[in-house]
This record gives sequence, C-alpha cells and structure tokens, in this order.
Amino acid sequence: MRPILRLDHVSKSFVGVKALQNISFDLRPGEVHCLCGENGAGKSTLIKILSGAHQPDAGGDIYFEGEKVTLNPHLALDLGIQTIYQEHIVFDSLSVMENIFMGLEVAKKGFLDRREMRNQTVEVLRYLKSDLSPETIMGRLSSGQQKTVEIAKGLVFKRKVIILDEPTASYSAAEIDNLLEIIQAVKKSGIGIIYISHHLDEVFRVGDRVTVLRDGRKVSQYDIEGLSKTQLIKDMVGRDPSTFYQRESVPIGEVIFEARNVSGNGVRNISFQLHRGEVLGFAGMMGSGRSELMEVLFGSARLDAGEIWIKGRLVRHATPKASIKNKMCFITEDRQNTGLFLEQTIAQNVIVANLVNTRAFFASPGQDVEVADGFIRRLFIKAGNAKVRVLNLSGGNQQKVVLAKWFNTNGEVFIFDEPTRGIDVNSKQEIYQLMVSLLKQGKAIIMVSSEMPEVISMSDRVIVMKDGEMVGKIEKQDISEENILVHSIGGKAV
Amino acid sequence: MSAGTPPEERNASAPSLFKQHENLTVTAIFAGFVVIIALLQLIITGGKYPTFLSPVNILNILQQVSVPGMVAVGMTMVMISGGIDLSVGMLASLVSIVTALGVSKWQLGTATSILLGIATAIVLETLMGFIISRVKVEPFIITLGGMITFQGIALLLCNSREVIMNGELDFIKTNLIAGAKDPVTGLNLIIPPYALVFFLIALLGGILLKFTKYGRRIYAVGNNSTAAFLAGINVKSMRLSVYASMGLLVGVAAVCLLSRINTGIITLGQNLEIDTIAMVVIGGTALKGGKGNVVGTLIGVFFLGSIGNAMNMLRLPSEVQFVAKGMVIVVAVSAGHVSSAISEFMSRHAEPTPAVETADAKGR
Repeated sequence: MRPILRLDHVSKSFVGVKALQNISFDLRPGEVHCLCGENGAGKSTLIKILSGAHQPDAGGDIYFEGEKVTLNPHLALDLGIQTIYQEHIVFDSLSVMENIFMGLEVAKKGFLDRREMRNQTVEVLRYLKSDLSPETIMGRLSSGQQKTVEIAKGLVFKRKVIILDEPTASYSAAEIDNLLEIIQAVKKSGIGIIYISHHLDEVFRVGDRVTVLRDGRKVSQYDIEGLSKTQLIKDMVGRDPSTFYQRESVPIGEVIFEARNVSGNGVRNISFQLHRGEVLGFAGMMGSGRSELMEVLFGSARLDAGEIWIKGRLVRHATPKASIKNKMCFITEDRQNTGLFLEQTIAQNVIVANLVNTRAFFASPGQDVEVADGFIRRLFIKAGNAKVRVLNLSGGNQQKVVLAKWFNTNGEVFIFDEPTRGIDVNSKQEIYQLMVSLLKQGKAIIMVSSEMPEVISMSDRVIVMKDGEMVGKIEKQDISEENILVHSIGGKAV
Repeated sequence: MSAGTPPEERNASAPSLFKQHENLTVTAIFAGFVVIIALLQLIITGGKYPTFLSPVNILNILQQVSVPGMVAVGMTMVMISGGIDLSVGMLASLVSIVTALGVSKWQLGTATSILLGIATAIVLETLMGFIISRVKVEPFIITLGGMITFQGIALLLCNSREVIMNGELDFIKTNLIAGAKDPVTGLNLIIPPYALVFFLIALLGGILLKFTKYGRRIYAVGNNSTAAFLAGINVKSMRLSVYASMGLLVGVAAVCLLSRINTGIITLGQNLEIDTIAMVVIGGTALKGGKGNVVGTLIGVFFLGSIGNAMNMLRLPSEVQFVAKGMVIVVAVSAGHVSSAISEFMSRHAEPTPAVETADAKGR
C-alpha cells in the first residue's frame, strides 16, 4: 500500500545539537505506527517536523501522498495532518461542539449553522462510541475525555493523519482502554496514526509497526506481530556507558535524611534513606510522581501520611520555610517559573532564600551584591556583576544562580529536580562538578532526572517510580539503562 | 570548567546607563516639563521671573501633593507586591467622616477621634488584605468592592451630610515658618507639619523597601510568588501586611486632609485612588508587580501635582488640565518602557554570547 506520509533521510539540528540524523519513516493509511525511545531520543522533534512546526535541514525530503511537500503548520492542517500534543490546548469555557469547530465554523449566510455542526458532532461521537454530549463544557471533562474530543475533531474534518504524543500520560486504566478502542475505530476509517508512548503495553496492544529512536537516530523498525518486549527495550537503550560523564566518587557517611511511608500529592508509601556524600537518583517516566514526591518532601505540597526524619530528628514540613530552616534546598525542574525572579538582579535572587535564616531586620543592598559577587566568582557565572538582571543570562548561568540561591542558605540536603534541563554541555559538566563539591562537604543529594546518562553517571543508588509508587531500588553495581527501563516500564510496587 | 571568563566578556553585560538609573527617563521628562512651563511664563510676562518657580508656589505644590503623596507611598508597596488598591479614596472619605464625627458629635476628644479614624482604616484594609491573601480573587475586584462598601458606610454614618468641625485639627496645618516671605512675590511662605509627615513617610517607606528584609520579600512576592513561596517566604502574610500598612497610611493621610478642609465629607477622597495610582506608575512601578521604588514615586507625585498648578499659572481652563494630566501619564509610562527596551536591546547586542536556550533541541 502506498504510504500517506514519508520522510526520506531527514535530519534536524539546533544550535550545537543534532536532534535528528538521517531519519526515514513512513506511515500507511489505516495503520498505527508507534514511535519509541527514551526522553530526548528525538520523538518530539520528529513530530514537530511532521506538523510543520520545525523545518528539516537541507538534504531530507517529506512526501505527502507521493508528492514532495514543504510543511508549515497551516499546510500540514490543510493536507489533513493533525497533531494532538501532550498538553491540551483547549478552550475550557466552551462546549465540546464549539471546541471541535473552533476556527472552522460552519456558516450559512454569514450566521453560524449550529444545527449542522451539532449533527456532525453527534455523528462522530457516536462513531467513537463516546457518551459525551456536544453541549458539555470542555473544562468539566477529564483529560481523557478531552483527548477524545480532539480525536473527534480529526474525524469531523476528515484528517488523513493523526499524531498522538503521549496521549495516556496520567490516565486511569479505564481511560486508557477507552482511548485504545477509539484508536482502533479511527484506524478502520483509513486514517494513519502515529502513536508515541512510553508505555510499551499500549504499543503492543494498539500498534501495527514500531520505529525505535535513540539519540536522534533510527535504531530499528519492526512489525509488532512477533516482536518481543525484550528486543524493543534492548533497542531503546544500548548507549555506550563509557561516553557518560565520569563522576568522582566520594565516601558515603551516615544517614542524614529519611522518608518513612510518605504519601500525599499523588504519591503513595515511599520510604528511603539518604546518606551524607550520596546521590540518590530518582528515575521513571514523566508523570510517574517524582516531582510530586519532591514537593511533599520539601513541604510545598501536603504530607498526608508518613514521617520525614532529618539528622535523626522527626520534622514537620508544613511549609518550605520550615524545611529551609531544617537545611533543605529544592532546585525545581522549572527554573524560570518556580526558581528565579527573572526581572530581578542576580544579587536579589541569591539572597532571597537565606532571608529565612537571618535575624536582622535591616539589610544592605551593598552586602547583597558582595555575597552575590562571591558566588559569581565561585560558580563561574558569566555576568558582568551582581546587578545584572537574571533575565539576561543564558540557561546554564540562570541555573547557577538558582544553585547560588540555595548554596547561600548553607543547606545540607539538596533536592535537584532535572538539574541540567535545557542547558548546554559545558554548563552541564560544571553543574555536575558543583554537585560533587557538595558531596565532598558531607552534604547529600536527591536527584530527579529523566536523562538516563545523567542518572547513571551521577547516582550512587537509584529509585525507580511508576504511577506514584516506588517500583525499584537499584544499587550502584546494578545501575544500567536496561535495568532502570525494565523497572519503569513493567515494575510493580516494592 | 572554564577557568575564569575573559575580561571583555565579563564587562560586556554590565548594565547600561539606562538601567543603572531607573528613574532617569521620568526625571528627564519632568525637567523638560518644568523648563517648558517656565519659558512660556517668561514669554507671556515679557521676561519676569516665572512665578511657577517661585518658592511660594513650590511650597504650594508641596501642600497640595502631601496627602496624595502619603497614600502613593503605600500604593507603591502594594503595587510592588503585585496588588492594587482602588478603595483608598473612599476609605479616606470614610476616615474623615469618622474622625469629624468623633470630634464634633461623639465628643471623644481630638486625639481619640484621630486614633479612631486611623484604626478604622487599618482594620478595613487588613480585612481586605486578609481576603486578597486567602482567596484567589484579583485585588482589583476586592478593593473595588471595598471602595463601594466604604462609600456606603461613610454615607450611612453622616446621613449623607457633611460633618463640620470647629478647627480642632488646625494644629496639623499651622505654619512652621510663620513670618517668612517669598523674595519673588512677597507672599507668606507656608510649611505645615503634615508636609513633614509626608517626607517622613516617604523616607521610612524608601528605607523599608530598600534596606530591610521585609522590602526584599515584597519585591520577591511581586516578581514571582511561586518562587517566593519555595524560597521560604510566607506569601500570604506578606500580602496581608502590605494592605495593613496601606491602612495606616490612608488613615494618617485622611486626617491630614481633614485638617485642611475642616469638614468631613464624602467627596474628600474623591479620585485619590486614580491620582495615586497615576503617580506610582509615572514613577516607574509596574502594574504587574516586582518593580518600582519610592524615589520614582516621589517624582511622580510632584510631576502630577505640578501639572494642575502649572495650568493655573498659565491661566488655562481647568478642562485642559485633565487632557494634560492624561497625556503626561501616557507619555511618561510609555517613555519608560521605550527606554528600558532600548537598554535591553543595547545590553543584548553588547553581549558576545546571547542567551540561547537549547531546551527545544532535545526533542522531548
């Protein structure tokens, strides 16, 4: 059968990074073609090329129904390629019908033809065996139901290709079943579907073919029939560990932090001990509850049950304020929105967390600048002086300002959530070295990371999470990509 | 790790002239305005010293702006923390009526009446602050509701009539430099105590914002309340406290205003909220919070205050004053944005390594 969509040796590079190299890929009508790969394998970049958001580098071509095309977001939609992203882009206060027809309303003599739109909506929803009503307000639906509406939109406008990016992240089991059934129905109408998921179960249930990406390259392509899970995992991992960052080892000391049966904020029953001089890595897929757990440990989300012990003392972390006093630090995953005061200067950012520990009512801006200048020198922050606004710094330097803010509090238990997200290779190494320097001072680190090489090279032990529970504890000698992936895909609570 | 950065790269991203002097643009516009008015007067009078710049007139402006100036200092704090307060005008009217009633009708004595008035303002503002910090409703809405409510309470208290006093508060407006004459016009120079109260409030407000832990927290909350919370700041109590301080300032300002007019009346605080917000934004404080300072606000206070005065000097009808005031707000605020855009542009082009984000390139 002739493919609807074909990529021929497509590459894509960004400033300094080769996101995709020489990818060939095709999609036939009426098939579900799955894309598998770890975080950062290049799946999202591929989707963005297919939806016209990114242009491929010169040398690669895209063919739609046999014809060579240069895609842009508008043309992609006109041709019938619809992308349904992980984050919903919906109009919460409008109805299901209005969402489906948003921007493409049916009109008669200049007035909206609501009856026609309603009929089409009802017809498609019936085809999808959905019990949604066209009048329901979008904001009242669960995220699974909202996805159904987006798929319905694809059917109403007779799209030829539907791309689903991680559709089931944070779904209940029933919602997943429902979605997979809908996909089967959509497939029968001749639409080609590109399905991206971390959940290999879903890939095996719904897919016809699968393409595996790793580090921007195509590793393999299989028919699902006759394929084994082990083979798929083997293809997804398989980086050479000797290319990873080589961390200095630091002697491990006594227990400094302990979580006992911690529950709350969507995570259940987490227990672990953290020692001085140790990096405890938290691995797992996105949405597995790692960041949510960190919020509970830091007191920015509620602890429903369980105990937190610091240096042998039971503590109550009702607020971040209390945990900072207890020597905790939290480098959040989204530095721009939750870590930094972008409009303010480096000095103002550096001193802010330590205000908890200072007694004096008066403070001097000059002294703030002095403190910040010290950190600029120590952490090699590239900025003229401490009066530069953080807004004007690069990602790596912004992250160092976040670190300076926490180093300034003299904390001992550090939570790093995605410590090197979105920063360049050199800054990454500098951040790793700063983390090691903390360990040498007898401090301890809890590190959440979605980057396998980072987890493997930095961690002394790894805890794997899935669906808000702990599904694996891996000791130093057993840490490997394959081991982590097996736990995070198929693990059961331990 | 890069062992030290090349010196030229370090110096390149230093703040430009525009950024180092946050209040430079508005000061320049204000100065330009003063020069233009003075020149116009020179031309009209045929070369006599412009009365606009005479000591008596400058002190006159000072008397006019002292009361809104006190409130503007509070508004600066509220707005830096990311809030706004539309209720200050009607609250000031309410305080004046409460105080005037205390003095004239309830016979509480002057001191008690003043304290009662100020306490009323503090309690009501604290109440609004409590709601704003606990409920996720825009401060705009809450204080709008407050404004209407206070107007109602005030009218109920005075039966929609004015409350006349017998000059019990005159000590607030006695002339501290009685006998001093203006060398230009020969008129009496006046500096009342409440003008000094204004300077004291501005000084304390400035110190609070710039030289205390509390001030740092206000900026942090206004800039990014989530990050502030995660940095250990009690965002709720910060929001509550700025409104409570606003209550104190409105209370004091209203008592001073009452002493000037000698009558508690509902129109006393009319447009005070509009004027003070205008003063604060002219001074460079951002509506979205996190940015601003008291020095800028002081410039805004004197700038806005001198517009009406200048129009009177030029014998322009009062209708023109509104046009001029409105345009000054638009020009001053947009000029501030243009100049910071320029400085941003210059610093970006001076930087050899632009802030390139490669998050996108990682394909997740």
